Amino acid sequence: MKRILLACSAGMSTSLLVSKMEEEAKERGIDTKIWAVAQDKATEEMKEADVLLLGPQMRFMKKKLEGPAQEQGIPLDVIDPVSYGRINGKAVLDKALELIGD
Amino acid sequence: MNTFMEKLENVLMPVADKLNNNRYLSALRNGFMVALPLIIFGSIFVVIANLPFLDELIGEEAFATYQDALGPASAATLSIMGLFVILGIGYKMVEQREGESIYGAVVALGAFLILTPQVVDEVGGVIPTSALGAEGMFLGIFTAFIAAELYQHFVNRKLTIKMPAGVPSAVARSFSALIPITLTLAIFLLVRIIFSYTPFETVQNFIYTIVQEPLTALGSGLPATIVAVLLIQVFWFFGLHGQIIINSVLDPIWFALNDQNYQAFQAGEELPNIVTKPFIDTFIVGIGGSGMTLAVLIAIFIVAKSRQMRELGKLGIGSGVFNVNEPVIFGLPIIMNPLVIIPWLLAPVVVAIVTYFCMSIGFVPRTTGVVVPWTTPALLSGYLATGNNIMGGVMQLINMAIVFVIWLPFLKIMDNQYYENERTAK
Repeated sequence: MKRILLACSAGMSTSLLVSKMEEEAKERGIDTKIWAVAQDKATEEMKEADVLLLGPQMRFMKKKLEGPAQEQGIPLDVIDPVSYGRINGKAVLDKALELIGD
Repeated sequence: MNTFMEKLENVLMPVADKLNNNRYLSALRNGFMVALPLIIFGSIFVVIANLPFLDELIGEEAFATYQDALGPASAATLSIMGLFVILGIGYKMVEQREGESIYGAVVALGAFLILTPQVVDEVGGVIPTSALGAEGMFLGIFTAFIAAELYQHFVNRKLTIKMPAGVPSAVARSFSALIPITLTLAIFLLVRIIFSYTPFETVQNFIYTIVQEPLTALGSGLPATIVAVLLIQVFWFFGLHGQIIINSVLDPIWFALNDQNYQAFQAGEELPNIVTKPFIDTFIVGIGGSGMTLAVLIAIFIVAKSRQMRELGKLGIGSGVFNVNEPVIFGLPIIMNPLVIIPWLLAPVVVAIVTYFCMSIGFVPRTTGVVVPWTTPALLSGYLATGNNIMGGVMQLINMAIVFVIWLPFLKIMDNQYYENERTAK
């Protein structure tokens, strides 16, 4: 199972993406767990995740979260603003799967 | 234009990084988050206790009994919110340092209580609740920072009692906190004693006079509010979360101002402040999110011809009603878009000035101290924030109209561009 964690300020706007990504994953028949959290929960929640994606408006968190992500051995990146604005579940899912690898 | 924007972003990113990732500010923000459920609980009961027309419906005497019965709900939470913020800050400060966070919370609270006057009108053994609310807010914040830092410093210096092997870990832990807490609180006691020999008499009085009063006086004014609103918009223009960045500095001031209004409202006095936490959250942000984009979405539904904009409207409206507007900000897009920079920066400033003016002449009532969750839809949130007053909703309608008018010409230009592009693409 691919576990994808999204984080933004309150976990609100990323949760819009969660449902779109889940739809897309279901269509493709990929077993995933996708969830969104507020920024202050990100360090804790990433223990359960295979990849962490940040909302572009919180991209200044990347520096702070890079350390913990490295410790967990999971990739971390910022979601591209265009996909974010269009709530493009497909593009973000692709990105997440690409980061997880295999 | 592009290199200028890049340069500006290179300035803003480190600022955002510093403000958001600063240890103290992040503990402060999270401390308020800890207190928020209690603040909102209290707010709900202020709303219920002041339902309109109820006094006429059930009679004044029954209404007084009703209000007395509900009073403790807000008196025990909203009134003394400083207490919960302190616990939250102390906890988060030590948690960041990977210490035992619960001791951070209690040492912060203990230190604050040591500095708090415990005499009211020569009656001993009482703590004035005002000291635990607005008046004690800044003292509480500073105390929580310092107490938690001192505690963790003493823990790191290994100033703890070592228990022999075989002692249950829970027992050993309770002793491990003993020396750090004793030292920390002793320092605060000393500070209290020293201040009792100064003209300020209490630390509370000192912080209130030297720091809190000037800062809240500054923050309650229109100029500072406009600067704050503009900064939030500028950060968002670069796709950085403006509120998270700016509010971590201004929340203490806005909450303190809000609490002053709440105290006055409960006492039936005139509300002292126009600018408060809900002033910002409800009348400037809470109309579809930062930049009040609900009005922008409505404008799109009315005038947009291009497929791109109409799609965006559909995509953004659902969450926009609940003041989540990232689809609009990144999708219109607002970020880095020279076409929208004028309405994006101008509209919130005009709205802030108009709302301020309407409240100062009494056309619209001031906010009563009720903290409305930021996801509450517009009109309802304005009604609740102004003490169940329909004029609060009217003010939000006026603000939406202002945003609509300011945006309209710019939206039309953008829409035409998109429309032309779509046509030529065919």
